[in-house]
Amino acid sequence: MSELASFNSLQLDAIKEVGNIGTGNAATALSGLLGHMIQMDVPETELVSIYELAEHYGDPMQIVGAVFVRSTGGFQCSLIFIQPEDDAGLMVEMLLKQQFGTFIPISEIPPEMTDSALTEVGNIVLSSFLNAINILLGTQHQISVPGVAHDMLSSILDVVASIYGQMGETALLVNTELKVEGLEAGRKISGQIILLPDPESLELLLKKLKVD
Amino acid sequence: MAENSIVLGMADLLVVPAPVKLITLGLGSCIGLVVYDSFAKVAGMAHIMLPLSRGLGGAEKIGKFADTAVPALIEEMLKKGATKGRIKAKIAGGAQMFALPGASADFLTVGAKNVAETKNRLLRMGIALISSDTGGNKGRTIEFSTSNWMLKVKTLGKGINEI
Repeated sequence: MSELASFNSLQLDAIKEVGNIGTGNAATALSGLLGHMIQMDVPETELVSIYELAEHYGDPMQIVGAVFVRSTGGFQCSLIFIQPEDDAGLMVEMLLKQQFGTFIPISEIPPEMTDSALTEVGNIVLSSFLNAINILLGTQHQISVPGVAHDMLSSILDVVASIYGQMGETALLVNTELKVEGLEAGRKISGQIILLPDPESLELLLKKLKVD
Repeated sequence: MAENSIVLGMADLLVVPAPVKLITLGLGSCIGLVVYDSFAKVAGMAHIMLPLSRGLGGAEKIGKFADTAVPALIEEMLKKGATKGRIKAKIAGGAQMFALPGASADFLTVGAKNVAETKNRLLRMGIALISSDTGGNKGRTIEFSTSNWMLKVKTLGKGINEI
């Protein structure tokens, strides 16, 4: 296994391109779900110290909603879809309004239903992301049932440290942000997709992209 | 004398004389380990991320792994005037933030392994673990105050538990 820090810029760019293709597909899926245009950032491949993960992504104490999936098969990885808690709430309101035709404020929606809606959105977004990557790489994959959590950003990102911490002090993440467009003034729904390739999968990825 | 507040980051390890408040924010699967000697008036904390160093220990932050953090923390306590027989320990953290039905991935259960290894190391060193708030699926923020030697554990939606 090569040292993460020794990746050259061509390799990091290749990994970023994988993220780009995944993000495009995920944005399309989210747009279809919410009936709004989605603005997507160009993904970044980032080498982040595992000791500073939470600070890297924002306020460590911020409450976020997160959906996590594990993908096995040719390209093993984990994926997280993270939203500020308010954004996640607004998104659930929008989805339920589309489904039932009436607006129900998030405070009146039972938590089980909120989680179920969030899980479903996360699942669709992350599966679309993964499908595009696996088509590009020509690999087969299976995706786990998603897990959902609402908690401090710092606690949520402990999972990243537990993946990368055993082999070193750096995590390689592909990170991108999606924003829902055309909402009423003062409202915002954004979400971050973080791809965490298993350290062992990176070599395969670089080989398939012919930059190993 | 006013208490100084010190916030420990990932894999940090620190021993300081009282009065002090030691804080760790947003523990998920990580462990906040507190040790103190209330007679010698000295306290320490470590923010442990993983159970075993598997030979990596020397090159990395010593507080990162349970097997390296516990001995280092105790050694530091003794250097600062604590007596081994009087040192008491408290731990919090070790949650499993995500549960994926049917998926097997070692790293998802690292919280429980952190708890087990930390307890194991304390036991081996003969340090009394007097209270703990571990496991579950929620993150924790912890504050240890030498004014009453109590560890405040804040969990989202569950309020404060003092142990």
